[in-house]
Amino acid sequence: MAAAPCAFSPRGCRLFASAGSDGRLRVWDTAGSRLQHEFVPSAHLSAACTCLAWAPLEARQPLGKDGPQRKKRKSEGGEVDKQLDILAIGTAVGSILLYSTVKGELQSKLDGGHDSRVNCVRWHQESCCLYSCSDDRHIVEWNTQTCKVKCKWKGDNSSITCLCISPDGKMLLSAGRTIKLWDLETKEVYRHFTGHATSVSSLIFTTVKPTNESKPFDGITGLYFLSGAIHDRLLSVWQIRSDRKEKNAVMSFAVTDEPTFVDLTVSEVKEEPVKLAVVCRDGQLHLFEHILNGYCKKPLTSNCTIQIATPGNDGDSTPKPVPILAAAFCTDKQSLLLVYGNALQPIIEKVSLNTSESHICLVRDVQKVLSLRTDAAVTKVKTPAVNSDAKVLVPGIPGHSTAVKTPALGKEKKKNKRKPGETEESIEERLGALDIDVSKVKTPGGLPQTDSFAVLLVQGLESNDAQILNKVLNTRKENIVKNTVARMPMHAVIPLLHELTKRLQGNPYSASLMVRWLKSVLTLHASYLSTLPDLIPQLGMLYQLMESRVKTLQKLSRLHGRLFILVSQVAASQTVQEVPEVNQTAKLVYEDDSSEEEGSDDEMIADKDSDENWDEDEDEQSDEQEMTVEKEVNGDSDLEPENESEEE
Amino acid sequence: MSRLWGRSPPAPPPCLREGARVQPAHRARRRRGQSAPGGAARGRRDKMVAPGALRVVRCGGSGLRGARAVFSADSKYLLCASGDFVKVLSVNTEETLRLLCGHADLVTGIQLNPHNHMQLYSSSLDGTIKLWDFMDGIPIKTFTVGHKLLALYTLASTEDSVFVVIPKKGERDTFQLVSVKLTKGTGQDLEGKELSVVLDGVGASTKKIAFGREGAYVVSVKNVDLQVYFFEKRLLNRFSLSTVKTKGDNRFSCVVCHPREDCIATGHADGKIRLWRNFQHRKAYTYSTLHWHHDIVMDLAYSVEGTRLLSGGVESVLVQWHNESSCQKDFLPRLGSPIEYISMSSDGVLCCTLHTDNRITIINSNLRFSRSIQGLIKSRDVKTGLVVDPRTKALVLNGEPGHLQFYSLQSDQQLFSLDIVQRQYIHQAGLKQSDLVKVAFSARGTWLATVEESEEVTDPELQLKLWFYSEETQSFALNTRINTPHDNHITDMCFRDMDELGDDSLILVTTGRDCVFKVWVIVEDSDPEAHHNVSWSCDFIGSYHNYQATNCCFSEDGSLLAVSFEETVTVWDSLTWDLKCTFCHPPGNIRNICFGRLTCSKYLIGATDYGFLCCWNLLTCALEWSAHLNVVILQPDPLSEHIAAVSWLSKESSLFVFKPSEPRPIYIQRNICKEKILLAAFVPRDEPETISSEKYLWLRNSQLFFLTDTQELMTLSTKSLEERLTPSSKQLAVEESLPVTPFSVLLGKHRRQQAQEDIDLGKPVVHNKQEQASPAVKELLHTPAHVLPSASFLCTIFINSLLISKENKSAEEVADEVVEMESEKADGESDEEDVTAMEQEDTSHVELLGEITCKLSKSQEKELRKIRKMDYSWISAF
Repeated sequence: MAAAPCAFSPRGCRLFASAGSDGRLRVWDTAGSRLQHEFVPSAHLSAACTCLAWAPLEARQPLGKDGPQRKKRKSEGGEVDKQLDILAIGTAVGSILLYSTVKGELQSKLDGGHDSRVNCVRWHQESCCLYSCSDDRHIVEWNTQTCKVKCKWKGDNSSITCLCISPDGKMLLSAGRTIKLWDLETKEVYRHFTGHATSVSSLIFTTVKPTNESKPFDGITGLYFLSGAIHDRLLSVWQIRSDRKEKNAVMSFAVTDEPTFVDLTVSEVKEEPVKLAVVCRDGQLHLFEHILNGYCKKPLTSNCTIQIATPGNDGDSTPKPVPILAAAFCTDKQSLLLVYGNALQPIIEKVSLNTSESHICLVRDVQKVLSLRTDAAVTKVKTPAVNSDAKVLVPGIPGHSTAVKTPALGKEKKKNKRKPGETEESIEERLGALDIDVSKVKTPGGLPQTDSFAVLLVQGLESNDAQILNKVLNTRKENIVKNTVARMPMHAVIPLLHELTKRLQGNPYSASLMVRWLKSVLTLHASYLSTLPDLIPQLGMLYQLMESRVKTLQKLSRLHGRLFILVSQVAASQTVQEVPEVNQTAKLVYEDDSSEEEGSDDEMIADKDSDENWDEDEDEQSDEQEMTVEKEVNGDSDLEPENESEEE
Repeated sequence: MSRLWGRSPPAPPPCLREGARVQPAHRARRRRGQSAPGGAARGRRDKMVAPGALRVVRCGGSGLRGARAVFSADSKYLLCASGDFVKVLSVNTEETLRLLCGHADLVTGIQLNPHNHMQLYSSSLDGTIKLWDFMDGIPIKTFTVGHKLLALYTLASTEDSVFVVIPKKGERDTFQLVSVKLTKGTGQDLEGKELSVVLDGVGASTKKIAFGREGAYVVSVKNVDLQVYFFEKRLLNRFSLSTVKTKGDNRFSCVVCHPREDCIATGHADGKIRLWRNFQHRKAYTYSTLHWHHDIVMDLAYSVEGTRLLSGGVESVLVQWHNESSCQKDFLPRLGSPIEYISMSSDGVLCCTLHTDNRITIINSNLRFSRSIQGLIKSRDVKTGLVVDPRTKALVLNGEPGHLQFYSLQSDQQLFSLDIVQRQYIHQAGLKQSDLVKVAFSARGTWLATVEESEEVTDPELQLKLWFYSEETQSFALNTRINTPHDNHITDMCFRDMDELGDDSLILVTTGRDCVFKVWVIVEDSDPEAHHNVSWSCDFIGSYHNYQATNCCFSEDGSLLAVSFEETVTVWDSLTWDLKCTFCHPPGNIRNICFGRLTCSKYLIGATDYGFLCCWNLLTCALEWSAHLNVVILQPDPLSEHIAAVSWLSKESSLFVFKPSEPRPIYIQRNICKEKILLAAFVPRDEPETISSEKYLWLRNSQLFFLTDTQELMTLSTKSLEERLTPSSKQLAVEESLPVTPFSVLLGKHRRQQAQEDIDLGKPVVHNKQEQASPAVKELLHTPAHVLPSASFLCTIFINSLLISKENKSAEEVADEVVEMESEKADGESDEEDVTAMEQEDTSHVELLGEITCKLSKSQEKELRKIRKMDYSWISAF
């Protein structure tokens, strides 16, 4: 067998066991895709693991002598929902190991049954029997309680590669190339099936009840089972019939390559289709959904094919396929556990089924997944990715507080935006000409005048040229600002306001410049603005921006005050230290506490005052931000009455 | 009259607030009047018919902090006290093998039976000591002491008694160490009333008493006093630290004794470790100080040989001190949470730390992190509530500070913990930490919204983060971070749960104490250069009369949003964000709201502070019914119409399950558990459970989980005791039949041979007990090969151990035999002299070599001389 043997734990598929080519057995937690533990058999190099089988959950073993009474004494707290944890491992030298996955240690070793490679092990659902088959052509029935061979019989003339126990537990399917059905009581062949041209690699019962319910059910007749063989792209379905003649396959499923892992949901109701997941050697997964009822000559093709590939966007440009190693249906039958990637470090993922599409390609960045997983290996701490391209919203940025426009308006706006975008080219072309004009104007005129500023501003706004706008908007002179705003045409007011809003959101330095512009725009064009019907959506952003900035004003001024006191205290204490003698003399004359003390206090206060004044000056000079905030307050007070009037 | 579900007298009919569009209650009152008597009667009957048929089952959480963990003799299993139980964990696989249950109260001490290491003693606050066969989970004996037992110690030297700490009679907060004689009776339940006081005035904690080398003395610390009692000399020495000159708090926090020497190590509250020597003398004692910890030393442990000392504290750093010098030390940092207990395995290979948040860490002897066993991590405060991750079906709640833990309910293990805040947690008093307060998943688990805030009360620093689950990398990635989404604490957050629609319809609503609720939607980025093409932004801000918004909830189809503002519930259209109607039920603020589902989608349920549960009909905008019930939790089942309400009344929690459309509750269980229930969640089952009784049909599709104030996770189970127990007793009785390793084949042959000879000669079989018990051989066989010292070193030990079994042969002869392996030299001679050899067995092994040579007979001497001429260089080759 080329593929590494692997198996999901029964019911819930909580664990996934896989035996690597290095002879180690690894047990993975399917929920977290985490390596639970690793087991290295003592002879892992010489006796490689060839097959795996989890003990079934339903097994109800006869309890030991002291079992029932003593164990029932436990109170209800003892609800460790323990799964049956025995994993049977067949090896290449003929021995079978029973390994406890809860304890993480070898439980026992079954020896003396086979003298050649064990090809398949299967647990009986109810009794604790284990069946194994080997290259030595024998089938062995083991008693796992005593670890002894219960029965051994020759099953075929060539090596037996696969086994399967019937749902009622009374029959056994064995397969080399041909498939035989054994009666487990008498150990006699009950039926023969033609089988495959190559050795069978998988056998599995697909139904637990016959679909035809007219006849009484004897436990085996009418059931279907599925078989797949190596180098065979067809999976065959066989039906066990009461007449002995029928030996050929009822139907078959076609896949792209040799099947390596097969899982299905057993249908209990007649109408419910059997869902079949076949993992092929080429790493693809095929999903079939079919209601089994009688013959079908043509091989059925899959309803859905799942492939996995790397994104391949950076570095290597071509996406590479990632092989799927195994797949199992979850208990709800609606989702699928996929195991993919490297056999030594598989990734286990739960994918919800959607068979409406015939071909699904999942894009998975295997490298990244693995690198993210390594740090979680021991501590279980996962660090979610925080990229720099994550959007950050702080108060004042559009989107942080409500966008006042309705969705319909927003769309309109988008359209509007697009239109100037289309015409932008032509404007830019014009702009080139304008630029020349400007330079021409500049050269004769010398100093730029306010009217030229207004023209420039309008041009800049129309063409959205950052260079021109910078030139204009970065002026500090109040007069120029006022005149420019006064002379600009009405239609440019709103674009200018938008431009100012955008710049206000930028760094605080530019904001301090923009505030002057904003102030003059609002004072000079208030009447125009108040006539606008859509003023609220147009200026909402600006309003919020101011709100959020002003909100911190109180705190800032408080902080300012505290710092100020602190600084002045420090300064005062320094001055006190400079004149220590004075204080000492004051101490000596303590008796009269009124006059002298007050005098000194006054002196101190006077000192402080002078310090304060000095500090304030410095603060005002240095703290530009403070200034802008104060300015904004002014701007705000200008704006607010207008807004209110608009709302009414 | 309103429906009476609780036990308290009927409340006056609810008056309706002016302005709120609730219809006059006469219609509703009529309905209620009809239904009320039946409801109450049915409720009572329910309780009578099936008392406790639905059982409350504990399924996770609870403190591991009762006692130090104990390694089994072979270091394969770890035993630790967990609430009322003792857990047997596998060191290899982190899985719980067994749960020993039988104690009625907190387990306070566990110790292996020194005379049989397959047995375990456990003591509990319920006043019993139990002896267990821990591998099979069977209680062997129960000794009733009758006092609260606060700690348990066993000694190898005392055959039939154990030491326990009990409260002193008549005095509060004083405890004494007593030895309990364990009577040898045949029955299972025995009395252990023979108490003899050893020490008075000891500390209550198990860490404050330690037994010295070979049980020669016992040390107890309390506050600043250290007392040592020598058993043989019957001498009690007391030492106390001065509290005057030290500025820190130098009280004792823990004590351990050196396993080989007379040395005591004590940990102190100021982070110092003191090593006491020569304490047999009251005056001439000395101590040295090791200091690294900046805060209290929580626990100490010596290695088996006593060469290394391990210490741990609140810094969550394990410190290893070598040879009692403060310059040689190793650290294992970032263990996640403060270390509560440290314990060493008997072979010295593993060390285990128990943490305050119920985490168990297993550490190799070379201070490498080996495994971490994490169940439900105990966080200081579960602010996020219980949320179910739709992707992994795991329960999501606060974990360690700043992390979200994903807890798998099936396996009782933590799947992983997601580091949301991404700041290093620094333990320091008074430092303000950021922690998660709210979390929400979108319907398919593709989006995760988290709110973190700093601990400041007045001016919280808030961050709303939206994470996108990237299938490509199988992990969450930050999409949008919003600073200060609200100006005050965020009280609630929810996604619009709409499965069938795509991401475009996703809406997130947050409510805050700043009197607004905000609606966040996904927008496409206008900036073409941005890598992300979608991000979140605010779409609408709603408020209602400047009341604080407390809860929010979407209807099942997502068309309506209900937001509660203090006493009023407002219903908004989610398309146009128009206020549709308001409901209220004064007095009392709304505590919880939820919409009915499926057939009951026209109802809106609310619970108020003053103990009313109200159901409003959204079609008529009228109060349908109300019941007097102090509801603390209101939890709708996502898969059915049922709603679970947990009430808290006169110190008992009761569960009510009801359908909004039906006037009577479907299920009532009073006094569901002794602790207060803080949170509850319905978790969808993987496959619908087959439930026979119609009464419990509401548990068919989902399972109800509760979290109590002690952070224990409970669930309701319909299965009978037997059914639930079968899985654990179902383990295959696979006999352990392991193949023998070549070495044990050799040893077994050796032993078998001798036993055979003994029998052949018809002499009483004198087992070479010393060999079996010889620690050297045992260690040799049990220690993994890679930690063994070099073979040349082992050779002499091994030879020495063999030498005892053939007592009167010279060492050289024995050595010869080892080389030849199967030599048949063991003849009758040795057996004949067994009697003489018996006398010598008392002497220690090391001396044996010298002593034997002087007792040799003449013939043997001759032989010896012969041998002496031989070359022994081969020995060094080992």
